[in-house]
Amino acid sequence: MRQEYFKFPLHLIVHPFDGYWDLKYENRGRLGVAFSVLALVVIASIVQRQYAGFLVNFNDPRRLNSFDELLYIVLPFFLWCVSNWSVTTLMGGEGKFKEIVLASAYALIPMVLINPPMTLASRFMVQEETVFYYLLTMVATIWFIGLLFVGSMTIHQYSAGKTVLTMFLSVIVMLIIVFLGTLVFSMMQQIYTFLVNVYREIIFRQ
Amino acid sequence: MSAKRWLISLAAVSLLTVLIPGTAAASAPYESYNYNYWEEATPAPAPYLPVRSVTGTELGIGEFADPGDMHVSGSGHVYVLDSGNGRIVCLDDSWKVVRVIDSFIREGKEETFANPSGIFTDDKEQIYVADTDNQRIVVLSAEGKLIRVIEQPQSDVLPQGFQFIPLKVTVDQANRVFVVARGVYEGIMQFEEDGTFLGYVGTIKVKRDYGDYFWRLISTDAQKAQMRLFIPTEFSNLDIDRKGFVYATNIDVGSKEPIKRLNPSGEDVLKRFGYFPVAGDIYYRRAVGPSKFVDIKVLGDGMYSALDSTQGRIFTYDDTGNLLYVYGGIGNQLGVFKTPAAVEMLGEHQLVLDRGKGSIVVFEPTAFGQNVNQAVRHHYRGDDVEAQAYWERVLQLNANYDIAYIGIGKAKLMKGENKEALHYFEMGMDRKNYSVAFKRYRREVMKEHFGTFLSAATGAVLLYAVYRTVRHRNKRRVKEA
Repeated sequence: MRQEYFKFPLHLIVHPFDGYWDLKYENRGRLGVAFSVLALVVIASIVQRQYAGFLVNFNDPRRLNSFDELLYIVLPFFLWCVSNWSVTTLMGGEGKFKEIVLASAYALIPMVLINPPMTLASRFMVQEETVFYYLLTMVATIWFIGLLFVGSMTIHQYSAGKTVLTMFLSVIVMLIIVFLGTLVFSMMQQIYTFLVNVYREIIFRQ
Repeated sequence: MSAKRWLISLAAVSLLTVLIPGTAAASAPYESYNYNYWEEATPAPAPYLPVRSVTGTELGIGEFADPGDMHVSGSGHVYVLDSGNGRIVCLDDSWKVVRVIDSFIREGKEETFANPSGIFTDDKEQIYVADTDNQRIVVLSAEGKLIRVIEQPQSDVLPQGFQFIPLKVTVDQANRVFVVARGVYEGIMQFEEDGTFLGYVGTIKVKRDYGDYFWRLISTDAQKAQMRLFIPTEFSNLDIDRKGFVYATNIDVGSKEPIKRLNPSGEDVLKRFGYFPVAGDIYYRRAVGPSKFVDIKVLGDGMYSALDSTQGRIFTYDDTGNLLYVYGGIGNQLGVFKTPAAVEMLGEHQLVLDRGKGSIVVFEPTAFGQNVNQAVRHHYRGDDVEAQAYWERVLQLNANYDIAYIGIGKAKLMKGENKEALHYFEMGMDRKNYSVAFKRYRREVMKEHFGTFLSAATGAVLLYAVYRTVRHRNKRRVKEA
């Protein structure tokens, strides 16, 4: 069982085609691993913002808020999963929602592996060495995007072009969801104030 | 009812308690502040406090009428250019009238000034007056005798029908005369001692606004004719430092560089290494707009003060472009101005000429201002250790003063106290120096612990080798047995 929880994710990030195939067809992905990775990304990001070395840390400590990380990582993650699922079901993708969650979460593993050590290392860096910090965090991001690409390609059984297209559409759908969400939210607010006004009107008329 | 009465008495008590400290704290009619690393205006102690105002009536020479400029000479005489009355009032440093010059003899005839607007005195105490409406620069001796006159320059560079309307004037140590003239967009006019026109220095470049450029592309000729011209702004004032660099201000709305320091070939060499542009207020309400500098004064040791006419504030910077302090304002009390026109320095005091009120306001440095000045002066002269003591006193008065942390950090770095320096640079948000200090500190720590590390590593390797041989031997023994 240890195989599935540690070895397989590490195998997947270096052999993505192989790994994602096994994840889909050999049923080797675990939701527990996926959510742990997500939680670790959140923790890594919080730690990075708070404890990265002075030379690379441009955050105003008075405005750091750990809940923001939830907003900027967990929410977009699920938005991505939902919108990717919405797009791919319409475009003949073979992936199930669970597989999308797994593929996306497993793609985040490089971030967990690279960013915390770099946070630690950045505390011992001088100005000239900070390029390595930026370089490696950049590598983590590119790796993540690459894995996400291979992941969606494999689980949906798409061609490369179609994967790029669906990923692009997913991002647009994410924006649409956010837009609709805020719209519904403000409508609800207006309905609420309307009802409150009606109530006040009634009690003041008496 | 009793509850109401109780509330009223509570309100009365709270009013009283508010009033008592309020009256005690109202010593400056303005609120001083400074910008921190995050570009927020944070309150700071007042660097200067008004001590008195000097009017013409007090001096017994009649009210000043629209005084346009003021200059303090090297010997400590204050020359006030009383533009409306067309006279120069010379005061000594204890505010007594030395003489009043309202005319001079030129070729046997008595001549007067017509709305003069700029005055300067050189180190020989010669007075240079920009006699605006007479279109000339008048050079007088300290006693008011005419030395020479610079009039309408003759040069191929100048356009046909050029009108020479001088506004402000400055002279360098080689007696070259720098003149800001009205309607001259090419820069500051430079004259030889004898009055021959040398050329322009420090042309302000016109920035291309791509939005405007786009509109010009699609508009018709008739529309283009109605658009405003893209001409550079004029300079508003100037001063000169000991090295012969001209400090000039211009009213260029939206510019990040309203203050320039021009080297002899006319390039802007002002250091702008602070966290934000050397442009006065970096954060302002749209109604009062960006700062408009109308005067600049070189204070020596790299410091300079610029006078903002919109908010009546004096901004003082150090040689690397750090904002040191801000004071002043618009209003009616002593220490705030109606129309500030000129800022000068007399010893440790700063003087501001208020054109609107017709008075000179004398400001005295507070303990905070004095310590900042001393610290900056010592630092500029390379005496960081001496500066540190002043910076520490500054921090006691204002713990939000970033430059003081950086100053102490630099002193510590100089003394080789790298670890302490790190702390101070971090407090001052100075990443560049932090990096330098960190590099030294890291090397120091590594040097100190390299021996320990090496012996530990050797020990580990030896232990491992012993372990391997013992195990190997044991195995062989088992095999043999």
